[in-house]
Amino acid sequence: MSRRLLELTINGETHQLLAEPHWTLLHVLRNQIGMMGTKENCLEAECGVCTVLLDGRAVNSCLLLAGQAEGHQITTIEGLGTPENLDPLQQAFIECGAVQCGYCIPGMILTAKSFLDENPGHVPSRQEIREAVAGTLCRCTGYGKIVDAISVSAERRLAKQHKEPAA
Amino acid sequence: MSFDLHRPNTMAEAIGLAARLGPAARYIAGGTDLVVQINRGRATPQHVIDISHLADLRHDIVQTADGFSLGALTRYRNIERHPAFQDALKLLPEAASVVGGVQVRNIASIGGNIINASPAADFVPALLALDAELDIQGAAGRRSESLRDFILGPGKTGLQAGEILAAVRFKPLPAHSATAFLKEGRRKAMEISVVCVAASLTLDASGKTCLAARIAVGAVAPKAYRAAAAEAALAGLPADTASFRLAGQLAAEQAAPISDVRASAEHRHHLVSVLVQRALETCRQRIAGA
Amino acid sequence: MNAEAFRATGRVAGKRLPRMDGIGKVIGKHVYAADFTLPGMLYGRVLRSNKPHARIVKIDTSRAKAMPGVRTVITAADIPAVRYGQAVRDAPVFALDRVLFYGHAIAAVAATTLEIAEQALAAIDVELEDLPAVYDPEEALTNAILVHPDWQDFKVLPILVRDGNMTARTRMITGDADAAFANAYRVYEHRFKTALQHPGYTEPRASVADWDANGNVTVWTNTQLPFDTQTTLSEILDLPVSRVRVIVPGIGGGFGGKLRIGVEHYAALLARNTARPVRVLSTSEEELIAATPRQSAVVHLKTAVDRDGKLLGRQGRIIVDCGAFAGSGPAMASVSLQVLAGPYRNGTLALEGIAVYTNKVPAGSFRAPAGPMANFAVESQMDIIAEDLGIDPLELRLRNIVHEGDKGPSGEELKSVSVEECLRKAAAAIGWHDRKPAPGRGKGIACSWWMTTGGSSGVYVKIDPDGTATLVSGAVEIGTAALTGASQVLAEALSLDLDDIKVAGVDTQTSPYDYGAQGSRTAFSVGNACLAAAADLRQQLFELAAKQWNITTDGMELRDKQVIAGNKTIAIAELARLSRLSGGGLIAHGTANSPGPAFDPGRVENHMLPAWNTPSFHAQAADLSVDSETGAVSINRYVVAQDVGFAINPTYIEGQIEGGVSQGIGQALSEEIVYQNGRVMNANLTDYKMPTAMDVPEIECILVQSASAAGPFGAKGVGEPPCIHPPAALANAIAAATGARMHSLPMTAEKIVKELRSARE
Repeated sequence: MSRRLLELTINGETHQLLAEPHWTLLHVLRNQIGMMGTKENCLEAECGVCTVLLDGRAVNSCLLLAGQAEGHQITTIEGLGTPENLDPLQQAFIECGAVQCGYCIPGMILTAKSFLDENPGHVPSRQEIREAVAGTLCRCTGYGKIVDAISVSAERRLAKQHKEPAA
Repeated sequence: MSFDLHRPNTMAEAIGLAARLGPAARYIAGGTDLVVQINRGRATPQHVIDISHLADLRHDIVQTADGFSLGALTRYRNIERHPAFQDALKLLPEAASVVGGVQVRNIASIGGNIINASPAADFVPALLALDAELDIQGAAGRRSESLRDFILGPGKTGLQAGEILAAVRFKPLPAHSATAFLKEGRRKAMEISVVCVAASLTLDASGKTCLAARIAVGAVAPKAYRAAAAEAALAGLPADTASFRLAGQLAAEQAAPISDVRASAEHRHHLVSVLVQRALETCRQRIAGA
Repeated sequence: MNAEAFRATGRVAGKRLPRMDGIGKVIGKHVYAADFTLPGMLYGRVLRSNKPHARIVKIDTSRAKAMPGVRTVITAADIPAVRYGQAVRDAPVFALDRVLFYGHAIAAVAATTLEIAEQALAAIDVELEDLPAVYDPEEALTNAILVHPDWQDFKVLPILVRDGNMTARTRMITGDADAAFANAYRVYEHRFKTALQHPGYTEPRASVADWDANGNVTVWTNTQLPFDTQTTLSEILDLPVSRVRVIVPGIGGGFGGKLRIGVEHYAALLARNTARPVRVLSTSEEELIAATPRQSAVVHLKTAVDRDGKLLGRQGRIIVDCGAFAGSGPAMASVSLQVLAGPYRNGTLALEGIAVYTNKVPAGSFRAPAGPMANFAVESQMDIIAEDLGIDPLELRLRNIVHEGDKGPSGEELKSVSVEECLRKAAAAIGWHDRKPAPGRGKGIACSWWMTTGGSSGVYVKIDPDGTATLVSGAVEIGTAALTGASQVLAEALSLDLDDIKVAGVDTQTSPYDYGAQGSRTAFSVGNACLAAAADLRQQLFELAAKQWNITTDGMELRDKQVIAGNKTIAIAELARLSRLSGGGLIAHGTANSPGPAFDPGRVENHMLPAWNTPSFHAQAADLSVDSETGAVSINRYVVAQDVGFAINPTYIEGQIEGGVSQGIGQALSEEIVYQNGRVMNANLTDYKMPTAMDVPEIECILVQSASAAGPFGAKGVGEPPCIHPPAALANAIAAATGARMHSLPMTAEKIVKELRSARE
């Protein structure tokens, strides 16, 4: 089938490219645009390493047709923080020792961000965090330090919210 | 694998496209079932019609005098978190929250899951236990069909060519009712059910006698079924362990499970009776606690 | 080696510092092999057998070759018939006259897109004629069906004893076991089985190969063993080692599954044929049908005890199922015997390890290879004995464990023995006094020991004029933070901060040799090499300072990033600058090697790893609940007490423990590659069940620090031991909770229900 022009908004920037209709968002990100922060593994939404945010909600980019992502705000790990200005979740993952091989980490951080953003005033329990990230497999860490990092990040976010209205 | 992707704006446009393109076309919403099928070579559509954006295809949960209406594009994650489903309709978030990971539940639609008609679908038994009705839009207009009649077998439904499942409706539960959904798999998340059970139980005002029960069982037959014999037997029985155990046994008699890599038929059979009994017990406790 | 000269001050080594590669990983900048691309790259795919054992009647690639976009198709007919392997050189690149397992590579394709490559695979015309196959390792030992009728033609290590499908047999003998059994108060005999377990790294195996104008090949790949891969490639490609260059970008986990050549050879061969760079990336299905999962095993174990539960002897046989090629099977048949002996005074031993071929996926070494299967048997049986004798399982272990100065199973002297401390601490933390707190709830414990794999390491350390140091090592950072640990050791020794150290990536052309990221050895061995380099650099710094000050080096100190002599000080940075003026800059080569201890050759026969280097000791305890109707297991608490010698970075040591335990929980409860009639029934991540965040409990780590003589600042190997004990600890807890004794892995809910039912009947 023929390629057609696709316009995607990724991390706030517009990308235009010719795409085959069956290409997934993951394929377009990695193999057409060259954004490699979004990882590739099972391609069946079982491992979660390909997680991106679609209008702020975590989704598996391996099963999302790129054409279906048109008109939505796509956020990848490259859109979250920079070395000088890390996202608080990225900072917490480093501090808590939640990163080992790191291949699941971009997806894990975005899964966590989507989850925390669902309910900004709430510090979730460890069990709630575990439920939220269960769709992203990590083989290295046994998850404990990942739960630590998300928990710490949620606490800091709440503390910041309490501080800001006063300021 | 290769196909054309179409992105119509309304149901009428989508239905028109489907009529023009014929059997080589498939609708796509969240895509979490269809894209896997395409990748595994189990579906080979030449045209894929994206219905995830149709202006008149709902993705919201609406409460009416007559109960609830869930747009077919409603996502599981929204059901999990919906405040109206945290009490008597608890089986809805319980079933919705065990479909894949959060990433799938953020995009997969309940309509797609019904159309996919997997025997192991988690949400279907929950809706069966609510006697859900489906609103189906076709070229000629809208029709309704009960979910129970709609699913015919693995991957097979009563959806006619070009039709779009538009909404799922169910009536409110009578007083002194509660629901529960239970599932078993090898892990505690990311599981395709070995067995799943949804139940809705109504007791009398004293809370001691069963007035009515609706019990649906998934993953142990070509399609999820209502445990009719168990439901019939429960009416009028005391709401106690013996009655619930009997219901479990009757529900299991109706099962026709297969053995596969996930579990043996024997184990599935056993789990049906355990889970049905437990789901009913959970309902009873919830009624008592309400 | 100059380790004694340095003492940990706690300033850098021993601290919870963040890993050096963390930022790149959290922002998505870290480049993994699966992310690595080259301009003009072609996409390679491998055609794999859909039959378990069959004669190849015909392979016709003409239709595939004619497809637009297809650049080459290769089969066994196109390449020299090289067989490679570890102890046994039995594996060809492609199936020769027969396919030997479901998933066996038959051909490879390179095309301009992945889709075209996939279509080309479908266009290769292969005709296979079924042959009778053997899947059961015990059946295979009868040699009724031979997996390799030409087994006698293979090149093998001389130590191996072989016969048909049996590709290795080894023994461990101490004293007269028969006499001990004849005089025993009781004898216990059991059979245990374990399943194939995929390493489960999240990054699939991936390689890109490119040939230069001079006929040299470079391969970017996610191997744990770049130098081993280089050697194997040189054999397959018939090139001198120096003309094969292996570069490891980031690697998304390995756990032993990326030790040996995986897809590198396909990439290199396809690239040679097309004169273009070629990438080969494994699919999930290929991972599950044709990677190197942990071997499955059958263990028969017989134990004799006296009235007090004192061990009088152990007899046993472990059969390691290699699959279609030997791989690490012979070595694992050997190593499993030390694990079967356990950290115990056994009295007498008569153990036999056998490695056998079957028509299944060639298996390999997954984290603590051979550990969990042997430990599951021996530690389950310890509880069975305790139960039968009415002795508390902890007490039975304490009566029999080894102590400082005891002899190990090969007659070697055991040092820094800490198993008692580990057992007592794990037991106390789990609340052992209340072992069966409620119906359906119980606690279990298991202990073990494990080696720190030796092998040599070399490093270069270079100091720049800004006073920072670069560590050049051939060791791969596979995620453990072992190179952060080694850098902490280096920084400590050079009086630098961790921020002052950079680590260069692995490139076989420029990196010094390293035996590889395997066997719990990287931080240990590279750390030792760093200490050696630091000793050399310190001497160079002293000599530069002495020359500058015109004094001798006597009494000089290296402290706070400067050389100090009395009231004179000079910064390392300044000395590095001075060295550039006349001395060619500051650089040192440090090496380390860890030969095993002396042992008694009379106690071992045909054993590939007879005496363990710097063994570590450990215990784990679980508290769990079992749903007696559904069989579902819920782990309430999990405690690990592990002797790490010296905790170079406690955070990442805990990370190793937590990750290893979760893999062990997977092996114990949910993971297995399921075969039916030789075909894999669950070749996808829907049905291959690795633990999710909901399946792993909070894991409590107790770091025991009983210093070793050989490791940097007393460290011992850390990475592998955590996944040894979970199957046994959980089996023992399930038995305590329900009375059901599980004899095979994984201990699924369905198996538990069955066991409970048969116990009732």
